[in-house]
Amino acid sequence: MTGGDVTGPGYGHGCLAYADPAVRHALEVEQVTAGLAAGEQVWLVGPEEPEVVTGRLASVPGFAAARCRGDVRLLSVGQAYRHDEVADPGEQVRAYVRATTEALTAGYTGLRVVAEATGLVRTAAQRDAFARYEHRIDHWMRHRPMSAVCAYDRRVLDDAAIAELACMHAQTNAEVLFRLHAGGDDAAVALGGELDPSNHRLFATALERADPRPVAGRLVFDASHLRFVDHRSLLHLRDHARRRDAVAVLRTRYRAPARLVELLGLTGLLVEVVR
Amino acid sequence: MRTGAGAGHTGYVHEALLYDSDDELLAVVLPFLLGGIEAGELTAVSLDVRNAELVRRALPAGTEVTFLPGGDVYARPTAAIRAYRELFASFAATGTSQIRMVGELPPLLLGATWDAWARYESAINHVYDDFPLWGLCAYDRRVAPPHVLADVARTHPRLALSDGRHEPTDVYTEPATYLAECRPAPLDPVQHTVPVVELVDLTPAQARDAVRAADAGRLPPDDLDDLVIAVSEVVSNALRHGTAPVCLRLWRAPDRMVVTVHDRGPGPKDPYAGLLPAGDGSEGGLGLWISHQSCHHVTHHRDADGFTIRLTVGNPHFPV
Repeated sequence: MTGGDVTGPGYGHGCLAYADPAVRHALEVEQVTAGLAAGEQVWLVGPEEPEVVTGRLASVPGFAAARCRGDVRLLSVGQAYRHDEVADPGEQVRAYVRATTEALTAGYTGLRVVAEATGLVRTAAQRDAFARYEHRIDHWMRHRPMSAVCAYDRRVLDDAAIAELACMHAQTNAEVLFRLHAGGDDAAVALGGELDPSNHRLFATALERADPRPVAGRLVFDASHLRFVDHRSLLHLRDHARRRDAVAVLRTRYRAPARLVELLGLTGLLVEVVR
Repeated sequence: MRTGAGAGHTGYVHEALLYDSDDELLAVVLPFLLGGIEAGELTAVSLDVRNAELVRRALPAGTEVTFLPGGDVYARPTAAIRAYRELFASFAATGTSQIRMVGELPPLLLGATWDAWARYESAINHVYDDFPLWGLCAYDRRVAPPHVLADVARTHPRLALSDGRHEPTDVYTEPATYLAECRPAPLDPVQHTVPVVELVDLTPAQARDAVRAADAGRLPPDDLDDLVIAVSEVVSNALRHGTAPVCLRLWRAPDRMVVTVHDRGPGPKDPYAGLLPAGDGSEGGLGLWISHQSCHHVTHHRDADGFTIRLTVGNPHFPV
């Protein structure tokens, strides 16, 4: 799993875009192995019959016993999500909050999920709702002991559809130029990668879906992993905050955004350079 | 009530002052400044250190003339426009009936980057026209090459002469026409070498990566960031408004990086492209202006093959 920026945040919410099922199968083995080693409960969510998945994971040391104990649960998409409907982001987040809490109560160190979610995002309306859910659960995962990898099938979804979802993850192997995900500290969201005219529309959509809210009149964007931002995107951040009666604050490691703001005489957007 | 050459005018009176000696310079500049003082107008001097001192010594003690610090107001034309517009706005806010200013470009700017300053001299006929400004642009005929003086004549409506007369240059050309002409800039010598990078049909992200990789720590970090911004903007513009294929070439010299972006289209239609911000950015139009602000020199070149924009960050003043 790569984020295009290996120094990105280390919490675990990744997106795997795959065309070869073997790639997803290898990820499952890796995640089950890591989860068991870490004392986590592991959920594998997908469209396949449990026997098929069990057969694939038989080589993982201790898998059979772990499955009997409930350390590893194999769930159909319908069991973990409201399948074939437009997701209710709030309800879905509550379901995973409950699951995380139950796992902790049961003595696990956390909850680890690998979900093949292609069937949940086939239509534009499904993707819109699911992307909103992705961002909300991302905030939960950023701060609580839950991690997840969402797998999407390139043979079913086109590049644009996958980009809509992949950009809402801190880490992804999909070719998206920017990523928007949960921020830490007082940052409403974090931005990574690069923002330019080629992805301005996608960024506007992602920001609208994430719908970050200001605190005390400041809408803070952690852009410490945003390597490039063009003036259009700065204007967009400013306008997004302004519509919420807030000042946009871009926290960045680079001085260039501050020079652009000064050059354009932008008000309503503060650039804070951090090291 | 405006006085002198500005009497009866409502906007910018843009005159050239061509001189061959200190005496000839002073013969025009002193009455220009003293006449302004006498009329209660704001007067300012933006000359290099030597000529500013020459004028200062020649003025009666206590004359209230503003001597502007040289500094980097002439670092690039777009920056000069920004700085002077802010200055003139502050002067105009005092309620003065006229602003008189004499300025002179440093001799260095009459060389490899003159094409940009010729565009500046033309554009300001329009850009400063909302101020009650009488400006004298001084050019030393002993220094300015003939092609520069030819451009000066075409970009200034009138000449201020040492005998006090003001004559039309006769060849003055309206900015919209002048700026739309193809005015080939001299090739940077580094362009005669094989480019370090040559990319066709690239994305803005690939262009940015290419610039970062080619730099390898040579440019100061802020300069590199500025070049990355400029290249990203011009590639985005070429992809959006130009005609494929879009080709980027990059050359490296010890003191600069030079990038050209070519497409087969005719280039920007706006004669002021790059010199003025177009719109508020919400619909685009700022990118080229930002590129001009970010680089030490930008050239536009049109020919039958298409449009080429050349960006230089670092020292653009190669010998010509």
